[in-house]
Amino acid sequence: MTTIKKLTKAREASSLLFLVVLFAIVGCINKDFLAPSSIMACFNDSVVFTLLAVGMAFAIFIGEIDVSIGSNLGFSAAVVGSMLRDGHSFVISFLTGLLIGVLVGLFNGWGVAVLKIPSLIFTLGTNGILRGMIFLYTGGAWVENLPPQFTAFSSKPLVSNLTVYYAVVILAVVVIHILLTRTKKGKYFIAVGDNEGGATLVGIPATRTKVLAYVFCGVFASIAGIIYASRIGFITVIAGNGYEMKAVAACVIGGISLTGGLGSVIGACIGAVIMSSVSRILVFMGFSSDYDNTITGLMLITIVVLDALLQRHSAERIRRERLTNRAASAAQKGGEQA
Amino acid sequence: MKKNVKALFNWDMFLLCVLILEFVVFGMKNPKFLMPRVLLASVNDFIAICIISLFVTFVMITGGIDIQAASIVGLTSIIIGVAWQDGGMNIWVAALLAVGAAALCGALSGFFIAYCKVQAMVITLGGSFLYAGFALLVSNLSATEAYKGISGFPDDFKIISKFKLFGVVPSQLILFAVLTLIAYLLLHKSKYGRSVFLVGINQKAAEYSGINTRLIIMSTYILSAVSAALAGIMLTSYLGTSKSDLGSNLTLNIITTVVLGGTLSTGGKGSAIGTALASLVIGILRFGLPLCFKVNTQYLDVPVGLLLIVVVVGRAIASSPKTAVFLKKFGKA
Repeated sequence: MTTIKKLTKAREASSLLFLVVLFAIVGCINKDFLAPSSIMACFNDSVVFTLLAVGMAFAIFIGEIDVSIGSNLGFSAAVVGSMLRDGHSFVISFLTGLLIGVLVGLFNGWGVAVLKIPSLIFTLGTNGILRGMIFLYTGGAWVENLPPQFTAFSSKPLVSNLTVYYAVVILAVVVIHILLTRTKKGKYFIAVGDNEGGATLVGIPATRTKVLAYVFCGVFASIAGIIYASRIGFITVIAGNGYEMKAVAACVIGGISLTGGLGSVIGACIGAVIMSSVSRILVFMGFSSDYDNTITGLMLITIVVLDALLQRHSAERIRRERLTNRAASAAQKGGEQA
Repeated sequence: MKKNVKALFNWDMFLLCVLILEFVVFGMKNPKFLMPRVLLASVNDFIAICIISLFVTFVMITGGIDIQAASIVGLTSIIIGVAWQDGGMNIWVAALLAVGAAALCGALSGFFIAYCKVQAMVITLGGSFLYAGFALLVSNLSATEAYKGISGFPDDFKIISKFKLFGVVPSQLILFAVLTLIAYLLLHKSKYGRSVFLVGINQKAAEYSGINTRLIIMSTYILSAVSAALAGIMLTSYLGTSKSDLGSNLTLNIITTVVLGGTLSTGGKGSAIGTALASLVIGILRFGLPLCFKVNTQYLDVPVGLLLIVVVVGRAIASSPKTAVFLKKFGKA
């Protein structure tokens, strides 16, 4: 009973429900959508967004935001792609990509956690710099002719329709979820986001935790960049442009509160699947994918407004309960005295 | 309080110095840069940044943020085009309609932020998707393919961006000056402006002193949306085509301008003059670098991003208590 109660109370449960209902409705309109291969494609295609959203979740857990991940993805993809094209080994190229993610994360973490600059502003600056660096690095040209074994790997299935990438990512997310909810250090992120002052007072290194969150965010973005390169097969200078906004949207839809300290990476995953399925769903429902942005925006606004209203409602209810309890106990006391 | 005013004054002076420095450096590198015709015409390229950031300043003083303004530029542009070409409206009525639509968009986002108390960041993020999406939908109403854009506007619409006072001063500059004056008077000389500041400093205190804080917050978003619409009209008139993705890359520039202008992103502090100067600094930078140093326009996000980071980092270091202690020691020694 308690587990069921817990499940229904979990914020990601409502996102999962939303996902199921969404798929069911689309399935009613167009039966082809519910074919196993089509459903699996929704999940497989979300792999880049899943990685971005999980990384973004770390930044949002601590109550900040990182809008540099779109350019970070593009830059990592361009660097790793061109290194592979020029015949460097996989290991060296991938490590370089990860290094970019770590460095970008450290830089953002330094600005936000150490210098205490508002995160949106600082990472917006980083975003501009990185986007420009893609132009500088590639000279405006596309990175093409990636090694075939690299691009072919993206469609390699593990079992039937499940690609290796998505399987690995899901496994990683589950491990991260367990680490975040079951270990002491993992809980630091949520604690810092929930109440930074309180976390510091009980001895949690808040600054270090924040920097670490940004490093995770950067690393996930660069891994997403590598997978992006492998899946798409070429990298343009605007690769990943605007993805940061979709990652934020995925997190919000997945039930992660932007004020920090609430939500889970599982929720981010579900949100990413919903986000990346929007254009596919539109096509299956017979609309042009031009509606993509409209639907995304509509979904985002509806969900956050509903969430805010519900939260205010429940806060109000708790306050009222407390007040009536206090009044009742005061009355009781008064009665005893008399 | 006196110290605050002094600091603000100094910051404006600093921006002015940077602006002069830019003129000197660019002028020395390429004398063509200083030709009045070239320099004044350059305003066309960055007028949108100037106009919008003036009023996004209001939003940021209340402690909010507006990243949807850039998408409203495109929405305005395409509404004008479609209403004129496919709706058969008079061009001025179409422009008015576009301003009205933009104000509605701003009011919608402002309503959610002020009355439902959702973070401004998320709502304007959703808004930027939504309004860019609307723009695409509106462009689908047109018989013309979206990528071509709608062109062939009547001359009296084009003239508003081609008009030159005394043959030199372009209308954009006049509009910018007028809007700066309006923003200055509104923000620093009116009761409304005082309320905007108070809301940013302490919303509760503002509420208790009888200010309708929610209305004030909502109104700032309407103001910024209307300014984006004005920018959209100017750009459409100047380019002669209406496109749904006009101005889509302005967000970084707008936020950078507002922050560079001395506005505190946590709210409660900022100035219209500072933003106006900062928008000129950024505009001249974006205009001068390609002209004088042959920087590809696609790389321009690098200097703008760097500028943003240098300013915020510099300000953080300057205002940290450690620096104050260091300076004290340094002063004694």
